[in-house]
Amino acid sequence: MNIHFKNVIPNPLRNITHHEQSIWNNSFSLQKGQKVMLNATSGKGKTTFTHTLSGLRKDYSGKILFDEQDLQDFSAEDWAELRKNKLSFVFQDLQLFPNLTVQENLQIKNDLTKSFTEDELKQMLEKLEIEDKWSNQCGLLSMGQQQRVAIIRALSQPYEWLLMDEPFSHLDENNTQLALSLIHKRTAEQGAGFILTSLGDDHQFTFDKVLNL
Amino acid sequence: MLKKILFNAQNKSQLIIAMIGAFLGFTFLVTSIHYLIRVNEFGEGEEILGSNTMIIQKKVTNLNTLKLASLDFSAKDIDHLKKQEFTKSLDPIISNNFDVTLQTDSELVPYMRTDVFVQSIKGEFTKIDSDKWKWKPGDQFVPIILPREFLVMLNTFATAKGIPPVSDDLAKSVNFKFTLSAKGKKEKVDVRIVGFTNEVSAILVPSSFMEYGNTNYAKNKAAEITQLMITVKEGLFGEYENYIKRHSIESKANSMVVGKLKSVAGTLFSILIAISVITVFLAGLVLLQYAQLLISKNEYEIKTLLHLGYSPRRIIRSILFYFIKVFALISAASLLTFSLIKLLIDQMLMTGGIQIDSEYTLLSFLAVFIAFGVYTIVNYFNAKRGVLKTL
Repeated sequence: MNIHFKNVIPNPLRNITHHEQSIWNNSFSLQKGQKVMLNATSGKGKTTFTHTLSGLRKDYSGKILFDEQDLQDFSAEDWAELRKNKLSFVFQDLQLFPNLTVQENLQIKNDLTKSFTEDELKQMLEKLEIEDKWSNQCGLLSMGQQQRVAIIRALSQPYEWLLMDEPFSHLDENNTQLALSLIHKRTAEQGAGFILTSLGDDHQFTFDKVLNL
Repeated sequence: MLKKILFNAQNKSQLIIAMIGAFLGFTFLVTSIHYLIRVNEFGEGEEILGSNTMIIQKKVTNLNTLKLASLDFSAKDIDHLKKQEFTKSLDPIISNNFDVTLQTDSELVPYMRTDVFVQSIKGEFTKIDSDKWKWKPGDQFVPIILPREFLVMLNTFATAKGIPPVSDDLAKSVNFKFTLSAKGKKEKVDVRIVGFTNEVSAILVPSSFMEYGNTNYAKNKAAEITQLMITVKEGLFGEYENYIKRHSIESKANSMVVGKLKSVAGTLFSILIAISVITVFLAGLVLLQYAQLLISKNEYEIKTLLHLGYSPRRIIRSILFYFIKVFALISAASLLTFSLIKLLIDQMLMTGGIQIDSEYTLLSFLAVFIAFGVYTIVNYFNAKRGVLKTL
């Protein structure tokens, strides 16, 4: 699935001047399988970008197309199908269920597509060094630990694009590299692409495309 | 897992209160509809008088008690009534002018013997099948129509003696006996009940039997005419009512105990149905409010589930099934309680000598299923609206 932006500008950013390279009010395409970095400082619209692309907000002008289909034409059920099989997210606010355990938070996602066994989920936790948190309540974990749970949850489904909004903001360099490595491996297995928004950090990773706001 | 996310952390006290309310409403509803049907059926089809036909008699007043006024109709009274515009036909009811007793004559029914009052009415006023309604001396039995109260009384007597109550069918299949007597002579005649009536308080016999008794066992005193059978012309009931009020006459049918009982019980059950419907409605509103509160409190959870790829349809279905289980529990508990209440009420009625059909009524069950259906449909639209609002 390729993504096409055609002169898109979110309504709240309409009155702000955007430079020539900005994705806003410009046209560009993202090809399936690309690894994309979106760099910008705070308040430039990174979350607006991921929310727009994930169908959480529709207040924009211009057109966003998934292949030939306009996002504005998707019904709630269409979005559910996309989010289940083609688009996965790591939201900036993580959107975990704080009262559920790590296992339950992962299971609620994995139940939709049965992508992994329980052992495979535990192995991913182990890779990110939080395997001992399996039965812990998510709300009681540190932000860094919660971020890693949210990343593993996002990987627990088939996808063509993985959208991540500042997914490593609470991780140290070592854990960031571990997470990025896991994400890269899982994404490559599926021939998928990902879009990662960042505050300009150097993740020591070669991206296919860098977008600016 | 969905159930845990959406329902586990809820305060269930409001739900429990609403469930108790709905349970009471459902139980009252099914019980009142069932007994309204059964009460209306009681004695149904036992009308033997033709349409617009009734028995009239003079009202008993203090003057009658003091013997200053008589209760019988004179030839002049009858003539006056016949001339009225509302009168279609009028005829005296022939009563027995001889002593007659009725006794049970079967081991299946408790022994009872009592003096009785018998009457016969002309065929033109009744709906009785003329083939069954005939008698001549030497026939195997005299067909009679028994006032419903008589059987109720017999059953009260039977229950008090610890004997099983007599059903309509049993009463019709066993023998009774009339004993006709006069000075120096006595005759026993077999009697068979062919029907019951709620309209006439005396035992009805064919005219030929009445003539036989009045001819062969007559007392010395001449028979008095205390009751008349009248058929009123359609549309002139107002005039008829005014006339009988002015002349201190009353319609006998209005004073029948079973009819009154049915009327009172019917009114009470109708009121109970209205209260039940209001209770079911109010409990439904509370349940609906609880569902709205549940959705509103779970807004974050519902949103997150949608963001994870759960379809709105699946979440709506999950909420709907939860409430369907709640409604099913309420309905099942109501039907079970109704069955227990029914056992108790049927037993009480039987003890009181009133035998009603003990079968369950389809309509009462249907009412619960309709209430269940309405709750489910309303809840579906409520869940749909609530979930889609979070999008």
